[in-house]
Amino acid sequence: MWIKDRYMWIAFVLPGLLLLILVLGFPAITSILYSVKAEQAGTYTLAHYNYLLKDPFFMTTFWNTAIFVFASVATHMILGLAVAMVLNSAIPARPLFRLIALLPWVVPDVVAGIIWKWMFNPIYGAVNDVLLKVGLINTSVEWLSNPKLAMFSVILVNLWRGFPFVMLILLAGLQAIPPHLYEAASIDGASKPQMFFHITIPGLRKMIVVALALDTVWEVRRFGLIQAMTQGGPGILTEVLSTYTYKQYFQFFRFEYASSVAVVMTIVLLLVSLPYIWMISQEE
Amino acid sequence: MRKLLTIAICAVALLVLCSFTAATAAQVTLRFSDWHLTEDVWNKSLNEAMAVFHKQHPNIKVVLEPVSYKEKETKYTVESEAGRAPDVFHVHAFSLPMFFGKGYAKDLTPFIKKEGPGFLDAWYPLPNKLMEYNGKMHAMPGDYMTMVLFYNTEMFKAAGLDPNKPPKTWKEFLSYAKKLTRDTDGDGKVDQWGFGTVGAKSPGFSMRFGPFLWSFGADYLTPDMKKSALDSRKAREAFTFFVELYTKYKVVPPGLTAMNPQEVRTQFAQKKVAMILGSGWTPPIVNKINPDLNAFEVLKCAPAPMKTKPATAIWLSSWVMSPNTKHPQEAWELMKFITSKDSELKWFVDNRVTSARKDVSGVAPEILNDKFASVMASQLPYGMVEPQIKQWPEIMDTFTTSVQEAIVGMKTPQKALAEADERINAILAR
Repeated sequence: MWIKDRYMWIAFVLPGLLLLILVLGFPAITSILYSVKAEQAGTYTLAHYNYLLKDPFFMTTFWNTAIFVFASVATHMILGLAVAMVLNSAIPARPLFRLIALLPWVVPDVVAGIIWKWMFNPIYGAVNDVLLKVGLINTSVEWLSNPKLAMFSVILVNLWRGFPFVMLILLAGLQAIPPHLYEAASIDGASKPQMFFHITIPGLRKMIVVALALDTVWEVRRFGLIQAMTQGGPGILTEVLSTYTYKQYFQFFRFEYASSVAVVMTIVLLLVSLPYIWMISQEE
Repeated sequence: MRKLLTIAICAVALLVLCSFTAATAAQVTLRFSDWHLTEDVWNKSLNEAMAVFHKQHPNIKVVLEPVSYKEKETKYTVESEAGRAPDVFHVHAFSLPMFFGKGYAKDLTPFIKKEGPGFLDAWYPLPNKLMEYNGKMHAMPGDYMTMVLFYNTEMFKAAGLDPNKPPKTWKEFLSYAKKLTRDTDGDGKVDQWGFGTVGAKSPGFSMRFGPFLWSFGADYLTPDMKKSALDSRKAREAFTFFVELYTKYKVVPPGLTAMNPQEVRTQFAQKKVAMILGSGWTPPIVNKINPDLNAFEVLKCAPAPMKTKPATAIWLSSWVMSPNTKHPQEAWELMKFITSKDSELKWFVDNRVTSARKDVSGVAPEILNDKFASVMASQLPYGMVEPQIKQWPEIMDTFTTSVQEAIVGMKTPQKALAEADERINAILAR
């Protein structure tokens, strides 16, 4: 054997490591360097970060992102768990319903955004049409133009778009819970809520943490849906960090500032992921 | 003898091989990218033109790279940064300052010089000026059109308005728009509006807001482009008038802040709105959305209404050569071809867009006798161009944000405009 066994792990790790450095490391380092690049070639500055702290649009965008992510993840967890439990029970045509439940996840972000923008259209949109016909509203609602409804509408669509991902993870978790636990609890006279809180939730704990962490990361990065539906408007009511970064980079050509926003976004994501990493390490 | 024959065969084979190698070496491939390639009519037109170009230049193979209208700047930015942008590509004129500043456009001066004196005289001076960076031509002008008022003559008649007397002033325009805002099916709800316009954050917004602002005698920036010029009575009047079309007079359909140009054209094609601001592209697109409308017959156009002076926005596109091109001379041949008199006339005949060439838009009977193009060409002297500075996209985004805040009632028009003025000054001072 030309490689000694004790060094064999290097041969296995090296290709993956090189790929990671190339695909993730290089862009990340380039972004960090861009974020501290001064106008004068070869010099570096923290001015972009300083400006970021004073930029009122950035601060609003930051809070918009927090609201969007919190609401999206929370609703994904509730709906995802509910649908997962239904699809885990003995319902007729279960494979078909599982497939249907997954469909929103298959639709690309931008396509979903465009479709829902048309569905919310105050003149032609199906949403108003249905609500008017069933008598829930008297006049057409401006879902994406009303300042009180714009963020709600985007979150609503994101609920539809994103819950299957959480559902899929939780469904896998539910299937891993041994059925005899429920049988034993039932013999002991446990009620359905008691079984839910004392068997299902503890059994899903690890999966819930995984779903929470991954969904949070996905939602912070969510771009196509919002860009296609509102482009951050009206005003900046639905502007989030991903659309703001895109705008700074590709519309305003402020590469350095866009990179500083992206770096902050990454730091926030890392902080969000820390509890997940900690919990996983505890499990191990 | 056999030796001689062998030498002769070898020599012939060598010659054939050499000529083949030379022919292969002379074959050049150019990448050409244009958002028009994603549009049916334009795509056909460009493919036909490229076939002609290939006949004229058999040694140049052109690979067409479609890109969506929205994504073009993103694509060209990413590819330029990576040093592999298409050899020739098509962008808005307002993107040029950023592209020039980042070094994404090759200096065309050496090629133009080689064409001889007076080569650029075939184009209008304004578009030529806008293609310059540091006093040198870095792009070639393309489509050149003015924004005009399109209206549906049948809807005019149904509202008791004379289709041969379009509104000339904004006051008249408002009165027309009120009459055209109606309940056509008698269910007690308005289902047709007088005016449709863009309110979303889109490049289409500034093209449609410009005629309001400029014809009120106001402007976005001071002449030296160092400060905002929005803190003026005229700007406030224009801004308030535009916002109140929606908030007070309700002659614009609901959902304005989410409306992009295509959605507005759809409203127009479906007879939901009676008037829109548009240009050469409007009739064919509207016709495609709803062929039953019979757009080329039913629609008419007129100069954009005015307040104190005639003024409208100019649409100008440009052709850029990537500095990374390995075949600059061939790329120049392609640029020359697509901006030639014949090609520019073809673009008009096929796609209804007028040209930045004087010897096309100013004299071609096809344009001067066309009911839409003749109006657009007549407005060229009143055409205004958005400030060509690198901060412009950010300024326009900030301005649109304020317009939207006023439209949805988050702020009064005065407060929203004052904030826009303050933010724009901050951007310019940065």
